Amino acid sequence: MRSRVVVVLTAIAATIVTVLLAAPAATPRHTSGSGNVVVFGRDTVIDHPVSGDVQVYRGTATVRDVVDGDLLVFGDGVAFEGNGRVRGDVILAGGAVKNGDGRIGGRLYTPGTIEGAMAMITRTAVIASLLLVWMIAAIVVTLMSGREIRLSSIEIRTSPLHCFALGLVAVTSFLLTGIVFSYLVPYLIGIPLLFALTVFAVVTKIYGTVAVFHAVGTLVAGARTREQLARRRWFRGDLAMVVIGVLILGALRLIPVVGTLIWAGASVFGIGVALATKFGRREPWFLTWTTPAEARAQEPGRIIQLKESRLGVCTRSKTFRWVYAPRRRAFATVAAPVRWSRWKSANFWRAPRR
Amino acid sequence: MNDACQRYLEDPEGNPEHLRDCAECRAVFDALGLEVDAKPLAVGELPMASWEGAAHRPWALVAGGAGAVAALAIVLFIVAGMTPLGVLSSELSRLEMMRDILRLTSTAVRNAPTTWQITIGVLFVIVNTILVLLLRRAPRGIDA
Repeated sequence: MRSRVVVVLTAIAATIVTVLLAAPAATPRHTSGSGNVVVFGRDTVIDHPVSGDVQVYRGTATVRDVVDGDLLVFGDGVAFEGNGRVRGDVILAGGAVKNGDGRIGGRLYTPGTIEGAMAMITRTAVIASLLLVWMIAAIVVTLMSGREIRLSSIEIRTSPLHCFALGLVAVTSFLLTGIVFSYLVPYLIGIPLLFALTVFAVVTKIYGTVAVFHAVGTLVAGARTREQLARRRWFRGDLAMVVIGVLILGALRLIPVVGTLIWAGASVFGIGVALATKFGRREPWFLTWTTPAEARAQEPGRIIQLKESRLGVCTRSKTFRWVYAPRRRAFATVAAPVRWSRWKSANFWRAPRR
Repeated sequence: MNDACQRYLEDPEGNPEHLRDCAECRAVFDALGLEVDAKPLAVGELPMASWEGAAHRPWALVAGGAGAVAALAIVLFIVAGMTPLGVLSSELSRLEMMRDILRLTSTAVRNAPTTWQITIGVLFVIVNTILVLLLRRAPRGIDA
């Protein structure tokens, strides 16, 4: 009960932190260094030539002179006046460009130019083509590591709240770690660290999303009984569940706004389950397990009951043979004997290969 | 405890006769209150395990699903008058924009007010501590 409360509180805290990061409190600040202009929390007027980039966060930019670099505005738009022009790109998130014709040397990036202005049919076509890429990726990942995907899928269905909370925290952590690593960009180590973080995040998202496909497919079309399973020709097996999951989530993805939210939610679940199960290996990330006291106290050869679900037979002082008997699926998960040292080093967590 | 006892413990349903013959094991299991010997194991009555039927590969369904998505994309491209190359180009321009944002924000972070920098540092520590705490929890999955 207590751990559930902790998970819920963690989920709420992670959500608040994410929102705070997305819309941080404004603090007026104007900094100029190395030809760059960075403004936080207020409107700015560029009335002198700027040799670098200009960035405005939570404010409006008025450009009256030449900016040699790029202009980034996360706020209420940009207006060009007088001799104002930007030689580089203009990236705008929020607001509009006023009087910008012929004043932008590079490209203008706005949510409008990328997605918003796309006709609905074009947007749907783009989503469908990306869905095809996801389908191919899901098939390849499932063929390569179907067992891991299946175990992660089970985890989503048994601990959805934990997976979601972990996913939210992990996304926030990726974001914050990226920001912290960006401090190191001027030094050589920053770029490889950022690259490694990006690769890890992308791999986590891809693996986790495929696990979510499997979970959705199993929830909707999975066989409930052996008779049902035996009767089926197509709707059985990991591959089928993943394909069905892609089709269902893909269909939902095509719904405007709601589809995007559902897909984002699936990504959070996916990242959470990928980390919770260590990419389906079901090993702990940190070795914190110690020899159970009741096991240590036993003589070799004694059969002991550990907590609720584990039965161990001590054959030597440091060697255990485990009959892994969970409350459910007992027959399915009888584990092979493992040495105590290997169990301690996490092999215990692996279910037997089938 | 001999080899037969160990074999039984490793695979009780494969050696059900052992418990009838071995008084020692019977006594131990009686003492633990485990009812593993009384009735023969009916595998069919056990809950279905996740791995049952998992290796089946229905290629017709896979090809059909992929084909349906591909056909939908092609039809939509034709209706919209777009080419896949156009999509690729728009996706590349989005990547270019992301790269620009990354480059610019990394500069902005270093020039941010001190309160922001401290907040970021504190949040970094707190969030990663919570992440580590959550990662310490063992996965449930098949044990649930």
